[in-house]
Formats: sequence, C-alpha cells, structure tokens
Amino acid sequence: MTGVAGAKDNTLGTFGRYAGPATLILSSLADGPKHGYALTKDVEAFAGVRLAPGTLYEALSRLEGQGLIEALDSDDRRRPYRLTAAGATALRAHLDDQRRVADVGLRRLAAGWGASS
Amino acid sequence: MTSDADRRAARLLRWYPRAWRARYGDEFTELLIAEFAERPRSWRRSADVARGGLLARLTGAGLTGHELAPPEQVRAGLATAVCSLAAFLAFGVAMWSQLAVGWEWAPPSATATRVGMVAMSAAALLLAVLMVLAVPPLAVATARGMARGQARRLRGPLLLAVAGAVVLAAGSHHFQNAWPGTGGHSWAQQGLVPGGVAAFSWAATLSVSSYWAHPVALSAFPPAEIAWMAVSPLALIALVAGVTGTMRRLDWPPRLLRCEAWLVSAAAAGMTVFLAGGCCWVLAEGTRPGLFHAGAIDVASLAVMMLALSVARRATGRAWKSVQGAH
Repeated sequence: MTGVAGAKDNTLGTFGRYAGPATLILSSLADGPKHGYALTKDVEAFAGVRLAPGTLYEALSRLEGQGLIEALDSDDRRRPYRLTAAGATALRAHLDDQRRVADVGLRRLAAGWGASS
Repeated sequence: MTSDADRRAARLLRWYPRAWRARYGDEFTELLIAEFAERPRSWRRSADVARGGLLARLTGAGLTGHELAPPEQVRAGLATAVCSLAAFLAFGVAMWSQLAVGWEWAPPSATATRVGMVAMSAAALLLAVLMVLAVPPLAVATARGMARGQARRLRGPLLLAVAGAVVLAAGSHHFQNAWPGTGGHSWAQQGLVPGGVAAFSWAATLSVSSYWAHPVALSAFPPAEIAWMAVSPLALIALVAGVTGTMRRLDWPPRLLRCEAWLVSAAAAGMTVFLAGGCCWVLAEGTRPGLFHAGAIDVASLAVMMLALSVARRATGRAWKSVQGAH
C-alpha cells in the first residue's frame, strides 16, 4: 500500500505479510483494550478471519515493538493490549490507503461491468 | 495441579526462544488453553505455533525483517554471522586440508584445480587474519564489561570459549601427528601451504568425514581417533557458543561494535572467494579418480557452505544497517 499516491505515515505498509493481521488487530483495539483470546474472537466476528495463535502473537510483538500498541498491567496471566496514539495514526493512514484502492476498484468495476445486483 | 491443556501448551511454547517465553509465555499459554477448550485438536494451529516459534528464533538471531532495538540487532547479527562463519569453516577447512594433503604428494594437473586451491588458500589466510583482528576489540569490550561489574554475566561464556579453544587446539595438535601427508614432518617439499598448517587443519576437521556413513571402515580407525572425531565438533560448538554468548552479553562501545561489523562484512567477502575456489575445484575434477577427486561429501559441504554464506550475508547486512542507522 505504500505505493498509493498520497499515502503518508503508513507504518503498516512495512509489515509485509503481517500487514493484514496487524490491521485487524489495530481495528479491534480501536474500540478498547483486549487480551489475546478476546482479540481473536472480535476479529473473527467483524472480519470472518480466525487469527491463529502464532500469527496473532507475531503481529502483536511487531506492533508492540513499533510502539503502535502497548501492554497493560493485569492481575491474571491474560495481558490486555491497547492502541497508542501512534497506532491510531498508522491505522488511519493504512485504512485511508485501502479505501482509496477500494474506491478506484469499485469505480472501474461499475464503469466496465455495471453496478452489482 | 497441572492439567493436560497446560502440558500441551507448555510443549507448544518450547518452539519459542527463552526471551520470547519470558515476555509472552504466560499470556500465550492462556490463549492456547482457551483455544484447546474451543477446538481440542488442530494440526493447523500446531503448525502455526511452530512457524511462529521458528520465526521468533530467527528474529532473535537478527535474520528477519522484524527489527530489534539497534544495539541488540547488531549484536544478534554479528553473533549469527560468527556462527555461520564457524559452520562454513568447519566444512571448508575440511575440504581445503584434504586438497592440501593431495598437493603434498603431487600438484594438481588441472589448471582450474590449481586456481581454485590458490583462491581457497588466499581466502583462508584472509579469514585467519580477520579472526585475529577481531580478538582485540572483543578483548577490550570484555575487559571494559568486567571493569563495569559484568564479570558474573560474562564468566560462563568466557570459560566455555576458552575450554572449547583449548580442547580444539590441543586435540588438533596431538592428532596432526597422525596426518598421512608428510608422516608428521612439519614442512613438506612441494605443498602449496606449510605441511604443519595442512596437518593441523586436517586434524581439526577430522569429524567432517564420509566415514560416518561407512561404520565398518570407521571401526578400523584407532579408538582415540574415533573419539576425537566425536569430541572435536563439541569443542568447536563450545568455542562458538562461548564467543557469541560473550558478544551478545557485552555492552559494546559503538566504535568497537562498528569495527567488529566491518570485520564480519570483510569475512563474508572472504567466504565468497573461498566458496568460488571450492566450486572451481569440484567442477574441474568432478568424479575423476585421483588425489583431487571430489566426492559426494564435497558437494554436500559446498551446499552447507552456500547456506552458511547466505545466512552470514543476511545477518551482516542487517547488522550494518543498524550500525549505520545508529550513527
């Protein structure tokens, strides 16, 4: 997505194959902190994608390393994560890029193939 | 009481490196237990955890696109490059010393073999010089670390490195006397390199041998020699583990770290020349019988050396990127 004209501050574009899981995790955390299992269930509910444990934690550790999310203190072993200000900015930039691509694709589809039924 | 789910989660967690387990182990275990309750068996989940664990290990070695903090990235990259260099040299020196032994009896007839052997010898000399040059920065950083109260942390890897080096040097010196090239005389008449150097190198890498695949022939060897074939790789592993353990625990001054990164980069160039020389020889001699015959183990050695070189180049590249980014 980094190649899209007008893209700026798209940190997620550097995540390679983890950009997808990272976007889903940040989108899930946008409405409040969640721990690993709650994240998995929420992502499954809104995106229809089940993040496997290894993939989830690979993305979480990258996001935490980049300062896009942070771990919160917890009384039990399930540690919740929350979005940071940098994470919110990166998510917004990434989703804007994706929306631009989606808009172009839908416009061209409508012109060449007609509106969907 | 530990449940079956706890035990299964603990087993899966072993794919991950210790540092990762210390940071994420508890919460990851909780997630796995919740997953087990929902879907008791899933090979896809196990495969995903295994893949994640191996990736975390590669990240810890400074080999993935997931950047560590700059000093840690440089230390990890250098340590991985040193491990790769050791693996490269174990196989490369075994191959080279075999050719040096052959040259003691008669020089090779094929020009390509001569060129390959000269290239390998020059690269081996360069690598030896670079390794000697790498010692002072490491020694200074170690002394500095000791003076700053890191002695306790450094003692273990340092002792391991010294023990490995002593066993490897003493054993190789002892077994070089059984070398078939000169019958134990320290200088040969017509060799490309001094006979003693070839003999020492041959003894140090005696374990890289196709005799492992021929137990009957191997059993005819003197027991002490078979024992050395088993012990010498362990000594090399101890030496490398000790050196890399020390490197990773040190709080390096940036200038010394930069110096080590430069030396490792130069070593990667030397490894490339060595490998090119080895390929030159194998392509020239093929399966032609004679003193410079290339066997299956030599082809396998070249494959291992190519892999080691590619790992070293990747690790060195990432270390350099971090070194330059830090300045």
